[in-house]
Amino acid sequence: MFRRAVLALGFVGMLVAPVAASAAEPIKIGFPIPLSGPTATYGVPILKGAELAVAEINAKGGVLGRPLELLPRDSKANADEAVRLARELIIRDNVDFLAGTLTSAEAPAVSTVAKENKIVFVAPIAKTTRLTAPENLHPYIFRLSSNTDIEGKAAATLIARWTDVKRVATIAPDYAYGRDAVAAFIANLKKLRPDIEIVDQQWPKLGEPDFTAFITAQMGKKPDAVMCDLFAGDFETFSKEARPLGYFKAIDNRLVDGAEVGTVDEAQALGADYPFGIISDTYDPVVWSGNEPAAHKAYIEHLKAFTKSKYGSGWSIMGYQSIEALADGITRAGSTDEQKVAGAMLGLTFDTPVGNRTINPKTHETDSGEFWGVMVKQAAYPFAVMKNPEFLPAAAPTN
Amino acid sequence: MPRRGSGLIGHIPWTLIVFLLASTVPWLGSRYDTFLAGQIVIDALFAVSLNLLLGTTGLVSFGHVAYFGVGAYVCGILMKTYGMPFIVAFPAAGIGAGVFALVSGYFCVRLTKIYFAMLTLAFSQIIWAICYKWDAVTGGDQGLPEIPYPNLDWMSVIPGLGELTDSARFYLLTLALVAVSLAVLRRIVRSPFGRMLTTIRDNPERAAFIGLNVRAYQLAAFVIAGAFAGLAGALYGIFSRGVFADYVFWSKSAEVIIMTILGGMDYFWGPPVGAMALVWLNQQITDYTQYWPFVLGSLLLLLLFVFPGGIVGGLVAGFRLARRRLVPRNA
Amino acid sequence: MAASFLFSQFMGGLTTAMFLFLIASGLSLVFGVMRVLNFAHGSFYMIGAYLAWQAMQWLHPLAAGFWPAALLAALGVALLGAIVERLLLRHLYGREELYQLLLTYALVLILGDVAKFIWGTGQLSVSTPPGLGGSIQILGTTQPLYSLFIIALGPAIAVAGWLVLNRTGAGRMVRAASYDREMLDALGADVGLIYTGMFVVSSFLAGLSGALVTPIESIVPGMDVLIIVQAFIVVVIGGMGSLWGTFWGSVIYGQVLAFGILIFPGFSLFSVFALMAVILIVRPWGLFGRPV
Repeated sequence: MFRRAVLALGFVGMLVAPVAASAAEPIKIGFPIPLSGPTATYGVPILKGAELAVAEINAKGGVLGRPLELLPRDSKANADEAVRLARELIIRDNVDFLAGTLTSAEAPAVSTVAKENKIVFVAPIAKTTRLTAPENLHPYIFRLSSNTDIEGKAAATLIARWTDVKRVATIAPDYAYGRDAVAAFIANLKKLRPDIEIVDQQWPKLGEPDFTAFITAQMGKKPDAVMCDLFAGDFETFSKEARPLGYFKAIDNRLVDGAEVGTVDEAQALGADYPFGIISDTYDPVVWSGNEPAAHKAYIEHLKAFTKSKYGSGWSIMGYQSIEALADGITRAGSTDEQKVAGAMLGLTFDTPVGNRTINPKTHETDSGEFWGVMVKQAAYPFAVMKNPEFLPAAAPTN
Repeated sequence: MPRRGSGLIGHIPWTLIVFLLASTVPWLGSRYDTFLAGQIVIDALFAVSLNLLLGTTGLVSFGHVAYFGVGAYVCGILMKTYGMPFIVAFPAAGIGAGVFALVSGYFCVRLTKIYFAMLTLAFSQIIWAICYKWDAVTGGDQGLPEIPYPNLDWMSVIPGLGELTDSARFYLLTLALVAVSLAVLRRIVRSPFGRMLTTIRDNPERAAFIGLNVRAYQLAAFVIAGAFAGLAGALYGIFSRGVFADYVFWSKSAEVIIMTILGGMDYFWGPPVGAMALVWLNQQITDYTQYWPFVLGSLLLLLLFVFPGGIVGGLVAGFRLARRRLVPRNA
Repeated sequence: MAASFLFSQFMGGLTTAMFLFLIASGLSLVFGVMRVLNFAHGSFYMIGAYLAWQAMQWLHPLAAGFWPAALLAALGVALLGAIVERLLLRHLYGREELYQLLLTYALVLILGDVAKFIWGTGQLSVSTPPGLGGSIQILGTTQPLYSLFIIALGPAIAVAGWLVLNRTGAGRMVRAASYDREMLDALGADVGLIYTGMFVVSSFLAGLSGALVTPIESIVPGMDVLIIVQAFIVVVIGGMGSLWGTFWGSVIYGQVLAFGILIFPGFSLFSVFALMAVILIVRPWGLFGRPV
């Protein structure tokens, strides 16, 4: 009898909770992210991950009894567009928080808008260290992604393992991200392998339609291995053009790309044209080879159902995390007051399907590492898959 | 340029009324309304400066945004990197833009029509490329975020302005500066110098024949237009609290041309009306759809084929038609 | 620097050049004959690329689908050009150039969104046609067969164009129209038909080059704007209205890009506009154009 009452109450509670949540005023989160252009290959799944998180949280009753409302906007990977959108979201749409942006040009720009308006901004993707550098740091910015220092170090570690490599070249997009990552890579490589010579550096611009001249120029310097940081649409164009020119063959596929072209999103975009054999990274391998965390399995099933896709996405996890972290921060603060939430985010440990993450109270970032591995053909999948993903954390021991 | 209308309509000080209305926005409207109004006011100055070339002198410049951008960067760099006060940085922006206009204009005015347009475009893209690459000075692709507001504490002396926010106060300052600039430009357009420009526009060969140094006049117009565009740019940099290389991309030049034509390039107040219409239309349309370029392109087609005189042209023609119908003709 | 390396850069520059020639030739001819600078030419190129991709989806069962797809795409764009010219452009011939420029710019805005609406905002890709997917070794370098095909196609089209313009009756009419439209009109030729014809041919070339570029470059929104600026530069260098001018202008531009990144890495952005400015200042009618 008592149990039935409890069950009945529970059932009613489940019905009422979402209703109660929707009756309360929503917590608005502005989400500028590139949804068109070459970087949309990453931007679109990131947004989907955020939408999944919002749907899940709202189904459980929202945050502090209020539903979350996501306001996505297409930033076109442009810093000034992102700033304009962020400002509009704040002034016109009265958002409570900001999340998103993809490139390392957008995020620092939006960060200044967040600082000026004292609005908490969670950046899940941009890697440039300038975002949280001491001269740019302020109470309202938080970064969930890895950063260019960590990425550069990991790439250097991997290339250093090839003991027969003596000549290394780099090719990266000519803006903050590419510059910072390559600088970190070279600094770390010099420490690990002072015998390696950097023989060539190419700097195509972001969104370059034709990489041929850069490809042939780099091949002319005859490198043994390459550190590449092209990503999304640029990487697709680059691969298509480089293969017939014999680029990958000349370096025996010894290319390390730290810009997450190891995600299933990128692999699917390129399909059979993917340069199998290269090494890349991802925040979420999706196709796990053994020891998959149970939480991840569940998450991927939900993601596939939510986005109606067969294979899921390796990028959605970061959009997902941005909302989870923000929701946890609001809950911990017990209010949506910006100061309180900003304070609550410091030192916050939040759960993700790929493991716990903690926001460092001093640097406002998670110092997150990534999964790295060789991209290979597997019979079960029509696209490249990461073989034995190895997680390289920030404090990676150098070997 | 049509004569000032006689009768009742012509005697109402429209410009004063508009100015007074515009200055009430921070009190009557929301923070967002002030934001939009600031955008309109700055665009109005930018468009009127272009119209000095387009409507008055007949020069089709596709690179006008370059001077806007130079002004924005000069003011931004002086205020942010060197900590100079606004009262120094603002005129410096105009002068800097004017100097750039002088150098590029010197080469441009030696060409005509399409070639002129292409060279203005080339110079504009060169400036864009420099802004994009010169990390040390312009911030490169990262731009110059966090341009400080000028010190506006002196404004609290004026009654009623004490409790306004910084952004509202800056809006009023912008309004005042733009009003003064427009008054100056209007003087220039109506002066003998301005009449020479329209003579050159209508028939350059005849103008040369009667002894005008066509190139010198065109260059002068180019420099003045560039300088005022630079002032607009300086205001915009502070208004948006940041200067980015994309401000200088050529599609913004196309946008300001459309604004000018939308309002009506045959009338001095056409471009400001066009600025208001375009900003308002943009806001309305982007609420419903992401296909703003499609709407803009269709609007442009409409202007080209149906309303070549723009909004003001259409209004004037409509008004004339109405007056002819309503007011009995004197024999 | 090794000779094989210089050869690689040179060939890369030639491939870029020939693509640009295919696109820019239409732009140059339309300007030479009709004095219209068609901003929307880049949009036609983009539509050609999208149509080729679309045709490939429809013709998927057929193995050799690429060539019919490219042809279909080019014809589709030619039709689009005919509609634009007849319905819109022809009404503005008497007016100032500004209006014509603005019309073509309006088309850029409209066509760009139409493409986004139909094909979405992501990046699309087309595989290299079978038979041209491989590469051969020349002078110690790997040359993709498809690039060699394009390098051969460029001069072929240039020569074909020259023959048509100089050895056929229709070509004579076109050249006459570019010299003196009124006289030709007075002599009873149907100038309107010539104009439409030129525009259709120009659009066909733009659509064809868009279709042919798809195995090498990605199809993405914004490719229209990127290409039209490059086409302008090429046409300015070579001289507007001159077929061979456009050809050599493309070759020069291609090599400047290819070797420019070696000499000034990161300066390619600046150097091509600087080149355009220099030509316009020193010799505005380009290398082969007529002083206007």
